Amino acid sequence: MKLLKTIFSIFIVAGFIASAPVVTNAGSLLQDLENALMCKCDDKCGKVLVNCTCSTSDKTRAKFSKMLDSGLTVEQIIKSQVDEYGETVLSAPTKFGFNLTAWVMPFMALIAGGVGIRKILSTWVGKNQPEDAQGKSEEKPATPGKYSKRLQDELDGIEL
Amino acid sequence: MNDIGEFTLLVALATAIYGCVAYVMAVRGNRIDLYLSADKTPLIVWGCVMISSICLWRAFLVNDFSLQYVWAYSNIELDTFYKIASFWGGQKGSLLFWTLLLTTYTVVVHFQNRKKNLRVVPYAMAVLLVIIIFFLFLINFSTNPFERIPLPPEDGRGLNPLLQNYWMVIHPPTLYLGYVGFTVPFAFAVAALISKNLDDGWIRVTRKWTLISWFFLCMGNLFGASWAYVELGWGGYWAWDPVENAAFMPLLIATAFLHSIMIQEKKDMMKVWNMSLILLTFVMTIFGTFITRSGLIQSVHTFDEATLGYYFLAFLFVILFACMALIIVRLPLLKSENQLDSFLSRESSFLFNNLLLLGIAFATFWGTIFPIISEAVRGIKITVGPPFYNQVNVPIGLALLALVGIGPVIAWRRATLSNLKKNFLKPLAAAFITAIALLPVIPLGSRVENYTYIAFILCAFVMTCILLEFYKGTASRMGLHEESMLGALTTVTWRNKRRYGGYIVHIGVVLIFAGIAGSQAYGTHIEKHLKPGETFKIRGYDITYEKLVAVEATSVKTRVIAQLQVERNGSHYWTARPEKEFYKGQNQPVSEVDVLSTWKEDLYMILADFREDESATIKVYVNPMVSWMWTGGWIIAFGTMISMWPDRLEQRRRLERFRREESLFPSPAQE
Repeated sequence: MKLLKTIFSIFIVAGFIASAPVVTNAGSLLQDLENALMCKCDDKCGKVLVNCTCSTSDKTRAKFSKMLDSGLTVEQIIKSQVDEYGETVLSAPTKFGFNLTAWVMPFMALIAGGVGIRKILSTWVGKNQPEDAQGKSEEKPATPGKYSKRLQDELDGIEL
Repeated sequence: MNDIGEFTLLVALATAIYGCVAYVMAVRGNRIDLYLSADKTPLIVWGCVMISSICLWRAFLVNDFSLQYVWAYSNIELDTFYKIASFWGGQKGSLLFWTLLLTTYTVVVHFQNRKKNLRVVPYAMAVLLVIIIFFLFLINFSTNPFERIPLPPEDGRGLNPLLQNYWMVIHPPTLYLGYVGFTVPFAFAVAALISKNLDDGWIRVTRKWTLISWFFLCMGNLFGASWAYVELGWGGYWAWDPVENAAFMPLLIATAFLHSIMIQEKKDMMKVWNMSLILLTFVMTIFGTFITRSGLIQSVHTFDEATLGYYFLAFLFVILFACMALIIVRLPLLKSENQLDSFLSRESSFLFNNLLLLGIAFATFWGTIFPIISEAVRGIKITVGPPFYNQVNVPIGLALLALVGIGPVIAWRRATLSNLKKNFLKPLAAAFITAIALLPVIPLGSRVENYTYIAFILCAFVMTCILLEFYKGTASRMGLHEESMLGALTTVTWRNKRRYGGYIVHIGVVLIFAGIAGSQAYGTHIEKHLKPGETFKIRGYDITYEKLVAVEATSVKTRVIAQLQVERNGSHYWTARPEKEFYKGQNQPVSEVDVLSTWKEDLYMILADFREDESATIKVYVNPMVSWMWTGGWIIAFGTMISMWPDRLEQRRRLERFRREESLFPSPAQE
């Protein structure tokens, strides 16, 4: 169980590291914009600006560079684009209102699935309990000594 | 010839309808005469569809622009290579190509199984024919590739320049082979449900079909990524486009299925689950087709004349409800004696692996359809792009990566503390050492960088788990048989193809994870407008723009090539020649990137723009570890080949096990 706890702790720490706030430097502001907004070309290419190579995307990048140079922030530029084109210009749903369901639903489904599997496993393992109660416990095999350990090791290695 | 092509499609449809009805009536009425008659139909249908396909290919090769489809996707100047590929370049031809593959698979299934289980096979053939009928109905009455133009023009419109790449010949057929392949396990699953033969017989019959389809779908996805990388000129390979998602989802569900059937084979458990997974995989292949052909969801892959969405939607719902009804009706027969010895076992790790795979599939599905939901609920159309998928799927993917290491090593039935220590101490140590070693070397801070750090640690953990498995098997064999290391390794792998083939596939998966992590986190790019002779630097490369050359490649294609010299540490390293191709009658030029790929990183050059004074805008990407992904793909291919290779030893072992079981449970006559 200690080993399991250690593995669990590693994941928790990893989770904290992963969810650390994003550090943005000045040089990547344009890239942040390119990632946050879709290309709005006439062909309706449906690509995120950073992935688009059409002539409209080049003009848009140049326009954003000028806007950044004029002192506008990324948020202000994004807002101006949303005002002009609507929410569809954003490359991902916002994290409030109805759009929040887009973000929450996959994790809700995952948690529900996890709880379901936990319940199923409890039921399935429970069916074997009477056998365990007769003395075949996990950590204390009925046959003591070095032979039981060897047997256990051999059983561990068997591929059915 | 065009008339023949059109006529044979009608004959194929009529024969398929007859065959389907005859198979069902034969098995219901126990009529051998009808069965023998129905038994000929798969071959006739395949022959008709093949003749029709040959007619269409011929029309492309002889520039028969009286056919609207040929006019729309070809022209006189098009290379023969691409004329052949134009067959599947548009909606009409791609449906015919799909049908050709489906009928070919059906004929192979027919010859493999015609003298086997006659209680199940006729139903499986009928299901396959029902699906063929659906496609033939569409081709005949809605989207006929033999539609004529009253006054044929002298030349065609030509194939979209983006499709004029060698991947056009490889990627779509590979993907289709995967998509279509899942029809076979689906048909056998439905047949098992209808005929009430619900042991693991249908799984044994279709395991290889599932593996083959999984392999093609996996390679199809990778080929698509590779194509996007070299053709679209944005330095990336995966954009979470709805159609990419549509190919990714069945792959994930099929992967879950391939893992969970192991539990059914070994412990006769999870029958309902496995049945649901394969049905869902097939439904997802139809969903993918619906996305490409409905025009409902915006995608770069959508066909020009995407009008078939409602047919596919209706078909999808019919299949979904019919399958659900079948499963519910057969639930009493699908119940199995489910029991596990412990929470800590390979069985439960497989359940969690299924949960995570389906979790990613669901998140991808949800993101793909959310714009439609948003429009229906709020009346506002929104976009769900890469930032959503990356934020949602990456953490789940990392947990899955951990399970790639844990699953194959943890013991079946019950993992004891000693087993856990023995199997995981060294991999955990490797992960710990990797974590310490990488800490001073790689940057941390942003979410992407942190995820990448975790991904590398997990890659080290999983790789050590797998390599230790190989080491244990090899060392044990060397000790027993005094073989050389290479000999022992080969024998161990060859004698347990399924197990070690699977491990090799996992090695490929680890390399893909590492490649994605490295390229996403540590890539950089620069864009420079240069005059000839000017130099700039990126990541230790000195790049000098030399000249611009214009070449009249064909009467419809002009190439403008930029020549750049790349130096590293003061010495010549590479001459890059990115170019732009201009096609007559096309508004947008096509970028042809130039890439120098090494194990460490890719140097990726794009000619973004140029002016008459020979100045040019050059975009350079340095993408680390991209080649790891492609290598991972080939390793997956190699591992799958080993897993699929016929294994006489395993067949013998299975036979012996059945015999033992029979002797344990004597027949009533023996009693």
